[in-house]
Amino acid sequence: MRLRTTLPLLVLAVAYAVISFFVTNSYYQLMMTLVLVWASFGLAWNLFSGYTGLISFGHAVFFGLGAYFTALGQIYFDFTPWLLIPVAALVGGAAGLLIGALTFRLRSHYFALAMLAYPLAILNVFMWLGYQELTIPMKHKGAVLYMQFTDGRMYTLIAIVMTVAIVILSQAVERSRFGMALIAIKQNEAAAEAAGINTLVWKLRAITLSGAITGAIGAFYVMVLLVVTPESVFGMLVSAQALTVTMFGGVGTVWGPLIGAAILIPTSQILQAKLGAQFPGIEGVIYGLAIIVVILSAPEGIFWRVRDKLRKRSGTTAVAEAVAIDVPTAGDAAPAASVSQSGGQIILSVRNLSKSFGGLKAVQNVSFDVQRGSILGIIGPNGAGKTTLFNLLNGFQHPDAGEVMLDGHSVFGVTPHRLCEAGVGRTFQVMRPFPRLTVAENVVIGAYVRAANDAEAREHAANAIARAGLTNVAHRVASELTTKELRLMELARALAGAPRLLLLDETLAGLGANEAAEVVTVLRALAKQGITIVIIEHTMHTMVRLVDRFVVLDHGAVLVEDTPQAITRDSRVIEAYLGTKWSAHA
Amino acid sequence: MLEIAGISAGYSSVPVLRDVSISVDEGQFVSVVGPNGAGKSTLFKTISGILKPTAGTIRFEGNDLLGVPPSRRAHLGIAHVPEGRHVFPSLTVMENLELGAYTEAGRQNWATNIERILTLFPVLSERRRQFAGTLSGGEQQMLAIGRGLASSPKLLMLDEPSMGLAPAIADFIFDQLTEIRRQTRLTILLVEQRVAEALQTADHGYVLEAGRVVLEGDNNALRSDDRIRAAYLGM
Amino acid sequence: MTPILVENFLQSLMAGLLVGAIYGLMCVGLALIFGVMRVINFAQGDFMMLGMYVAYFLFVAFGVQPTFGNIVGPYVAAFLAAPVMFGVGYLAHQFLISRVSGTRTAQLEGEGHYAQLILTLGIALVLQNAGQMIFGSMVVSVRTPLSSSAWIIGPLWGDFVEIFVNKARAIAAVVSLLVIAGLVLLIGSTRLGKALRASADDPTAATYIGVDVNFAHSIAFALGTSITALAGGLLAPNYPFHPFVGLEYVIIMYAGVVLGGLGSIIGAFWGGMTIGIVQQMSALVLPTQLQNSAIFVFFLLIVLLRPQGLFGRVTERT
Repeated sequence: MRLRTTLPLLVLAVAYAVISFFVTNSYYQLMMTLVLVWASFGLAWNLFSGYTGLISFGHAVFFGLGAYFTALGQIYFDFTPWLLIPVAALVGGAAGLLIGALTFRLRSHYFALAMLAYPLAILNVFMWLGYQELTIPMKHKGAVLYMQFTDGRMYTLIAIVMTVAIVILSQAVERSRFGMALIAIKQNEAAAEAAGINTLVWKLRAITLSGAITGAIGAFYVMVLLVVTPESVFGMLVSAQALTVTMFGGVGTVWGPLIGAAILIPTSQILQAKLGAQFPGIEGVIYGLAIIVVILSAPEGIFWRVRDKLRKRSGTTAVAEAVAIDVPTAGDAAPAASVSQSGGQIILSVRNLSKSFGGLKAVQNVSFDVQRGSILGIIGPNGAGKTTLFNLLNGFQHPDAGEVMLDGHSVFGVTPHRLCEAGVGRTFQVMRPFPRLTVAENVVIGAYVRAANDAEAREHAANAIARAGLTNVAHRVASELTTKELRLMELARALAGAPRLLLLDETLAGLGANEAAEVVTVLRALAKQGITIVIIEHTMHTMVRLVDRFVVLDHGAVLVEDTPQAITRDSRVIEAYLGTKWSAHA
Repeated sequence: MLEIAGISAGYSSVPVLRDVSISVDEGQFVSVVGPNGAGKSTLFKTISGILKPTAGTIRFEGNDLLGVPPSRRAHLGIAHVPEGRHVFPSLTVMENLELGAYTEAGRQNWATNIERILTLFPVLSERRRQFAGTLSGGEQQMLAIGRGLASSPKLLMLDEPSMGLAPAIADFIFDQLTEIRRQTRLTILLVEQRVAEALQTADHGYVLEAGRVVLEGDNNALRSDDRIRAAYLGM
Repeated sequence: MTPILVENFLQSLMAGLLVGAIYGLMCVGLALIFGVMRVINFAQGDFMMLGMYVAYFLFVAFGVQPTFGNIVGPYVAAFLAAPVMFGVGYLAHQFLISRVSGTRTAQLEGEGHYAQLILTLGIALVLQNAGQMIFGSMVVSVRTPLSSSAWIIGPLWGDFVEIFVNKARAIAAVVSLLVIAGLVLLIGSTRLGKALRASADDPTAATYIGVDVNFAHSIAFALGTSITALAGGLLAPNYPFHPFVGLEYVIIMYAGVVLGGLGSIIGAFWGGMTIGIVQQMSALVLPTQLQNSAIFVFFLLIVLLRPQGLFGRVTERT
């Protein structure tokens, strides 16, 4: 598995080294190094922005800090870059942590603007400090000790080692719980929280790591050019270049920045060299055009474009032979957790819950209990307050009054990821699966909350997939699934966290009668295994065959709470659904 | 006037409407009822052009409507009062109504229309300078209907005007709709989940369930059919 | 000693008010685009740079200077550049921005915003660097005798405290105020203005009442571009410029717009005015090179501490 991705990387690295060995022209030697510098910078950018989806427009801040730190360290203290470069990584990491802590509070537009502003603000400070142009002092003795080589190929070799290290690091992140957490954040931050992921902590780790790598690359860049100006390391074009090589090559994969840099750097460098005299700034125009073309025609980059095309060509036949999905009959798919029909043990208790928005009383004084191992349905016509009640239950909103008790403890103020750790799993009405990951990969995200390591998480995930009846499609990518399979995948992700209580948001919506019946079978089996289920739906249909009890909401308040049989005959329910004048007539 | 034939539509890969055919004659009041999620709003969005159907045709006054860009459809005389009101919150009540008269017909008949609207919903007159975002749900619904009427439509499409409203206010709105009909013989297409109110004044009704028309007929025929109850309550 | 301090203070305040009015106009252009389309245009400063060059070339090469002279000429050139930039903005929206914005991407939430930001970043890079190719990196300015003459207020304190009011800046400030007043009337009372506001409030409902939202967006983008470009044209007699000048103004614009509450037009004007005053007052205590950094820091503080802005209402849609 690992060998399959590492081997081509090493082959590429060796090939690159061999080619660089035969390049004697110092200009082309420099270019071979710069391709790797920008590829590495792209990889570092990708590690944060590509995986989390939070686009940074100001990565130059880390690059420039690393560069200036190294230049100043040599000029004033005569330290060797072999030492300064690792310390520059620490500087970049610290800057990342600080900027992240300050900026993650901001939502999309503000985040983008603030990130853009950081390097531009610092650029002016370095100007003012009088560091318009710093030149690294030449060392005639001990040049190697000061990373000053007369042979440009040495820099290329160092850059190869650095790039390979960053690729391996990126791949390790991608495959681990770290990468899964970031991918989950990218697809749906709320869902990630609900799956037990502390999103703020993971984002901080990502920007710190990304900032550290960027700082080191900036430091190395100074050693390659031996001169640094604020514009060349803090400028808008610097941030844009990292973003462009990655977006052009492919976001969220290690191959993206490599492909992007390999195409864009030589193109722009050669044009700049050939035409730069008549057309200064042609380099910037190339990058600008590259971004525009990519965002309009292949927003995720060349890599994914090509891969999707190849997959489509080879994949269609495989998909066509639709695998029949076996619906597990009660209890056979799972290690039947022995559950004695616990007599009246209450797991979830809702007491006098109220929530208003402005003048609208969305939820008024709602109370009900849920017994362990039972299925409760919350229904009501549109606008009855179901979604608000649900968000109060799962901790996404706080009630104005009343409380939610889980096993007798109030969950007020408990964050969604803690609630998940406490054994509450949930699904979302709007499904946002990660389309290019397989079912198994999608589900494993939910398993980390209960797993000590990656292997254990995969085991939990496989188990959950079996219980949801998806074993046959576990290795398909999510984009090929039907609506029903996607719903079951969401369910499996929640199950992977081994919840005691499952909150399901419109799991049956959009399903045909037969499909709904299959999902009902799965859910009933889960309840038999002892998982308590609270499900919200607006249609009563199908639900009458699923739940043990109904809570009917109307205008934010509980209208009736009873068994399905009683509910369908209740005149108040008929009124709420079919209208006042209906019950009078019937 | 409106002829919908064999429409299928949905979001990305999830089909919501399957082979739906509905027709509305000039001067008719037609109701489409069905439980939530049956595809009622999707039907309206398809008529307004926000959603492109995957199959079927829609003709309005004999002309193909699918070739007409969404923003031109209001100018043909179709007023869509959307689910959840969708008034313009940062504009005043009066500006909302003026914007309703964005169509040529609306501008020509502005004087008559505004008087009729403010008589039907006097509260709008009281609040004319207030921002629409500060109105209560019921008032916003009245404003949304007023905005629709201000365009001098040939066809008024109402999407769940009773949603989230207290019964008394919902009743008032239905009464005023009856009043509009009495005064103008305006053609109305209504979708509602409250069956009784929706069918009460309608000339013709359709029952939508899981994206298909499962039943159609006049008020009496539909109300005596137990299948409606089954569609809603599942048993 | 005291009169000199007072004089310096009043002089800076006056300078801040005058340049603040022009910054206000600049910000209004950006706010109009954001308010209607919810698109943050990273290239706004570079469109302004383009507007400055258009005004410059109209002035020196296309007969504005010989026809209108050195006093009226620069203003005529600025006003002629505005419709040119309206066209540029319209085309940029039609062919580029509209493909990643508007009703088409309304459902995309975060990802949609990023596509817009990245696209405008690309446009910014192309404008800056293509500007360098075409116009060269020499600093140019529109010369008028007004920029080196002043009205004198005072003396206010015995024989002391005289305030110099630069004529070119004062005229530019007054023109800015008049343009903003005209724009407020346009947005507030005309059919077009209401259609723009309806598109901003609720694009879907605007379509239902017959507004072509895509067209409204094109108009808003073009209008916003031309207003900012006009502000650039008004600055040109006093502030020499070059192809990368947009970067110097872009953060001033964001700071002003965010300060005014993203999307509020009047708020953006007050925001720009505040930035102008802060910038000129900071010159009393800070070296010139740090003036822009002071604005950056000020901007970051606003964004971090009070993202809803100091002026105007919160218009962020939920």
